[in-house]
Amino acid sequence: MTPLTVIGGFLGAGKTTLLNNLLRARTGVRLAVLVNDFGDLAIDGDLIAAHDGDTITLANGCVCCSMGDDLLRGLMTVMARPEPPEQILIEASGVADPKPISDVGELHPKLTRDLVIVLADAETLAERHADRRLNDTVERQLRAADLVLLNKCDVASDAAKDAARALIARLAPAAKLVETSQAALDPAVLTLPALPHQPAPPHHHDQQFSTVTLRRDAPYARADLEAKLADLPDAVLRAKGPVRLDDGRTWLAQRAGRRLDLSAWPGAPSRTRLVIIGTADMPDVNWFARTFDAEVD
Amino acid sequence: MSATTILSARKIITMNPNRPEVSHVAIRDGRILGAGSLAELEGWGDYAIDDRFADKVLMPGFVEGHSHLMEGSIWKYAYCGYMPRIGPDGTRYDGLENIEAVVDWLQRCEARLTDPDEPLVGWGFDPIYFAGRRMVKADLDRVSTTRPIVIIHSNFHLVSVNSLLLERSNITAATNVDGVAKDADGEPNGELQEMAAKFMALDTIGLNYAAETAQAQGLRNFANIAVRTGTTTATDLVNTLTDDILAALLAVTGADDYPVRLVPAFHGDSLPPAEGAARAVALKRKTTDKLKLGIVKLVTDGSIQGFTGRLRWPGYYNGAANGVWNVGPDRLEAVVAAYHDAGCQVFIHTNGDEAIEVAIDAVEAVTRRNPWGDHRHTLQHCQMADAAQFRRMASLGMCANLFANHLYYWGDQHYGVTMGPERADRMDGCATAMASGVPFAIHSDAPVTPLGPLFTAWCAVNRTTVSGRVLGEAERIPVADALRAITLGAAYTLRLDHEIGSIEVGKQADFAVLDDDPLGVAPEVLKDVPVWGTIVGGHAFQA
Repeated sequence: MTPLTVIGGFLGAGKTTLLNNLLRARTGVRLAVLVNDFGDLAIDGDLIAAHDGDTITLANGCVCCSMGDDLLRGLMTVMARPEPPEQILIEASGVADPKPISDVGELHPKLTRDLVIVLADAETLAERHADRRLNDTVERQLRAADLVLLNKCDVASDAAKDAARALIARLAPAAKLVETSQAALDPAVLTLPALPHQPAPPHHHDQQFSTVTLRRDAPYARADLEAKLADLPDAVLRAKGPVRLDDGRTWLAQRAGRRLDLSAWPGAPSRTRLVIIGTADMPDVNWFARTFDAEVD
Repeated sequence: MSATTILSARKIITMNPNRPEVSHVAIRDGRILGAGSLAELEGWGDYAIDDRFADKVLMPGFVEGHSHLMEGSIWKYAYCGYMPRIGPDGTRYDGLENIEAVVDWLQRCEARLTDPDEPLVGWGFDPIYFAGRRMVKADLDRVSTTRPIVIIHSNFHLVSVNSLLLERSNITAATNVDGVAKDADGEPNGELQEMAAKFMALDTIGLNYAAETAQAQGLRNFANIAVRTGTTTATDLVNTLTDDILAALLAVTGADDYPVRLVPAFHGDSLPPAEGAARAVALKRKTTDKLKLGIVKLVTDGSIQGFTGRLRWPGYYNGAANGVWNVGPDRLEAVVAAYHDAGCQVFIHTNGDEAIEVAIDAVEAVTRRNPWGDHRHTLQHCQMADAAQFRRMASLGMCANLFANHLYYWGDQHYGVTMGPERADRMDGCATAMASGVPFAIHSDAPVTPLGPLFTAWCAVNRTTVSGRVLGEAERIPVADALRAITLGAAYTLRLDHEIGSIEVGKQADFAVLDDDPLGVAPEVLKDVPVWGTIVGGHAFQA
């Protein structure tokens, strides 16, 4: 199952910057990034292995596709590649509702719905929302978000930021809100490496995010683990990694937003090694150690 | 010297105010040498007289300013509409007036399929006429449980599918996505209303009907329909015009016996604007006699009856949420500017009055920075424009192509559900466009409604709905003006009024050949004037 992540938000909110940051981060995950226009993507020349019309192939196996407005057709093309991507990120157009795009992740047998991340420009969000022609579009986007990135916080006035925060709290109470500048987001929020060939993400605990890794040799009862994962607090954005279950097998557990998925682990049998990333208000490591009866770092 | 042929006719309606009606037209090299009396035309020298049309009425070939080539290609699937329709080979398909009739027709179509795995595809279905009854999977399961079935609704946004296709598309009671309609038991009922679910169902059976428009049979079908309706120039709004498609269109239209001049508009949002503008400029240079290139199409909002059109206050009459943007106010001006600055004429799809406002604002902004007196940027559909908007359009040099067929097909729904009585009266306001000085055309948006300029003119003249209600008597226009809209009016919006649209010296010898006089019949029966066929570049094509 390939996670389908949707990046929404108005023109100028920082979607391209976010994707540029991600492509530069070299996460080790083979990504397919579908954009409306890769004119704005600033991919370092030495990363590019091939540029063929609508597709740029990077040396690390990632691809970027410019899909015009035929987004789903572009998605199918990417899925049919000889080396299919391990995760797909779709940049929604500025006025698009990201929800229907994300729905494809739920419907397609080879895809799973991943996070909907909506960028909001801290300088202009409230202004856009006051524009009667755009007001409902702003609301639809925010309501569709699992994670709202309030971007450009370095340049926005305090008044604009306050207005934007209030708006997001009112319109998208269920979404996590993270404040950024230059769309600087921990790449692990967008894509969490966990497969055997992928390097573990560096751990850090900054003001916005924290990461914990659970390790355990003893298998979990399936129902027990599913319940624990389902009950993770809202502050958790992602959990991913191999888990050992009482059927003697290793599974790949993936939780994105509130959605949980267990699928076949593609590597050699492994102990449980579950990486969890969430916002700063996520419980501390001791809570995870207790709840999952595991070693934690 | 090339040969001259002089056609005689019962009457020739020219659209040339100096000589609005004549008896003869002379043709040389596929162009009009002159229109007048035989004595006047004899001055051009030797000629052969052609009396085949002596009892016919000739008009300038009709110009369909907003159609899609899918009007030809979609006929490879079963027509399932409520309204009777005539197929490309002249077959008359009765309207299917209830679900039972649709099922019965599909059963007959199914029986004709020989490959047991071949999907059955229908189109043109519109449950809006069925008082709330929808097409559900149980209906289609009566047609087949062993082959996938998909019925494309007339608006091309919704589909209805059978249980097998739901199952193969992985759509179940647990499917939690927008637009999968569910029945009382929480099971998907077979109607898929939004992009994702519809796309997945079509992808399951490998159906991409939108990509089939440039196939030879579809283009041939389109031509047959054009000939039968007197149409000699028709648009394809919109087309990505990739090299493959362009080659196919050039090949087909390059044949002398292809009876339509095609005007495809480049899909202006299929490439980033700067690249798109370069492409559109390059396309314009490839224009031929029968394939006219260079126009760019952009889409702002959706449709009124689909509740996706963008409306200003007070919104939809039934309280539905406002519609959606494609190219929205955040971006339209920049995209229009890219094409405008490159000298490309832009067609902007707008239905709701908010979309119209945004489009007018964009044109105002780009023309203020970079004046271009003859841009002819045209609002396509432009259905909800009010008088003030028409006045702005006139000042800015914009054109309108109004969707007159909507008045008949969905007028009752606009009156009762979408717009309410007052705004339904002003829809597709041809009289206001004329009074404001906005050059305008009227159109079918085929295959959304059938290609047929005389029918479209009838709609603008009578403004009668399916139920017989007249929407906005003051917006009715005289027959002569409606006939101008389907000839010279449409040609003007296509920047082709110097070549087609009237019967005058120097223009292409393109005529609609009619069995009766549209100016002589009662306006109520304008749509019933029989069409013999067309003449394109001097070549006659009988329907």
